[in-house]
Amino acid sequence: MERPVRDQSEDTQEDQSIPKIILPSEFKKCSRTDLVVLISRMLVLLIAINENSSTKKPDDQITLTRYHSKIPPNISIFNYFIRLTKFSSLEHCVLITSLYYIDLLQTAYPDFTLNSLTAHRFLLTATTVAAKGLCDSFSTNAHYAKVGGVRCHELNILENDFLKRVNYRIIPRDHNITLCSVEQKQKKFVIDKNALGSVDLSCYSYANRLKSGYNVLDKYYQRIVQLVGSFNASPDKSKRIDYVLPSNFNEDNESGTRLQQPKASPESHYSQKRISEAEDASKYNKRSKPD
Amino acid sequence: MKELKHENIVRLYDVIHTENKLTLVFEFMDNDLKKYMDSRTVGNTPRGLELNLVKYFQWQLLQGLAFCHENKILHRDLKPQNLLINKKGQLKLGDFGLARAFGIPVNTFSSEVVTLWYRAPDVLMGSRTYSTSIDIWSCGCILAEMITGKPLFPGTNDEEQLKLIFDIMGTPTESLWLAVTKLPKYNPNVQQRTPRDLRQVLQPHTKEPLDGNLMDFLHGLLQLNPDMRLSAKQALHHPWFAEYYQHTS
Repeated sequence: MERPVRDQSEDTQEDQSIPKIILPSEFKKCSRTDLVVLISRMLVLLIAINENSSTKKPDDQITLTRYHSKIPPNISIFNYFIRLTKFSSLEHCVLITSLYYIDLLQTAYPDFTLNSLTAHRFLLTATTVAAKGLCDSFSTNAHYAKVGGVRCHELNILENDFLKRVNYRIIPRDHNITLCSVEQKQKKFVIDKNALGSVDLSCYSYANRLKSGYNVLDKYYQRIVQLVGSFNASPDKSKRIDYVLPSNFNEDNESGTRLQQPKASPESHYSQKRISEAEDASKYNKRSKPD
Repeated sequence: MKELKHENIVRLYDVIHTENKLTLVFEFMDNDLKKYMDSRTVGNTPRGLELNLVKYFQWQLLQGLAFCHENKILHRDLKPQNLLINKKGQLKLGDFGLARAFGIPVNTFSSEVVTLWYRAPDVLMGSRTYSTSIDIWSCGCILAEMITGKPLFPGTNDEEQLKLIFDIMGTPTESLWLAVTKLPKYNPNVQQRTPRDLRQVLQPHTKEPLDGNLMDFLHGLLQLNPDMRLSAKQALHHPWFAEYYQHTS
């Protein structure tokens, strides 16, 4: 099994005190702690963007959701996520899917924004739904609720709310987010393909389906490492580590073409938007750092 | 499941989810294959279906399954009870309760899947890396059951199930199935069996002669080695179905 190589060598001249970890190219071979570090960094970055005064909605325009707590919980995102992962034995794909669910939920439910009041309940709900939807072995809601620090009754409601909002589209695959939003606009449980009109579903051809469809999580993995792998680029300072993908790592052709031609996939448009926002912000962070 | 829109898959119309109740609304079907076969039993003697009908049902079963597999969904519980039929003779796959998407890397693939009689030998021996071939084995069991009217391997526990399979199909050898000895529940001490002629096993239970094409096709589905089994797509191109695909293409 591939193990991350702890590389302490000279090429960290810029900042010698930050250890570097070269991650495996497949996320399932990554250590779960490293994944949690990376995803937490991404969440904290997104929260920072959403709470940035220039983009933040004025208080009177904020709609309270079921994910809101009264005051920010006093456990950090990183510690909370580690706790859920450890005591609920969350699998790799569940961890990354919870990040995917942010894009999914925000598309289906624009009132929802990830911020320091909503992040904890969102994470608990997302990991519960992902574990139950993707894995053969999972725990009870009572267990997840206990680990997450909410009443089981509340988690049941959160889970139900989430599933209805995203119209049960919980499998992370290509076009899922697009289809979810079309269904929502048409207020239909299942859309009629003929009614899709201009929405491009070219991936539905047989040839494309053979390989594509399930690269979504790999793409998220790559992008998190690219965005917040660097300790300095991340607003979350829980672990002093730089993460990089292996040097021989190449994005597979398919997602490569996708990136150049976002038109080919309506869904990449969403993540594109999100990621580009995040990219701007991470530049901003770097620039604004006093050192 | 709701994306699986195919004429040989039962349609999910809606989900009604309240706090303590979950209701799924499905397309209405008149009957299932198990009840249909039972209704044809005369006295205590089960009777198989006419081979024309067997072929038509098997064709539809594989069409539905090929669609699932194309969409990266494993059914994992194919059996006559879960094949729904209507008065027009249409057959549709139902009960996706054990189904799962197989494109996402997951560590916890359960080996407690598929109703025992239709469970593939690799799964019985504890394989957790199974894929689409698990559904194909079930299709083979169902085909034999439609021909004779009775289940091919009606075991009562895992051990007996494997014994029944080996009694007819022979015990697996490393030369035919390289990885077999590495499976968690592989038992090297099981009594060695040689494969029996499937035609001789099935022919006494049906009036119609079982031709070479049919037997070759059935063997393609019931390979002990999962890698040797036909895929759903390949199965649909087997000469046994010649009259169907020549029509459609």
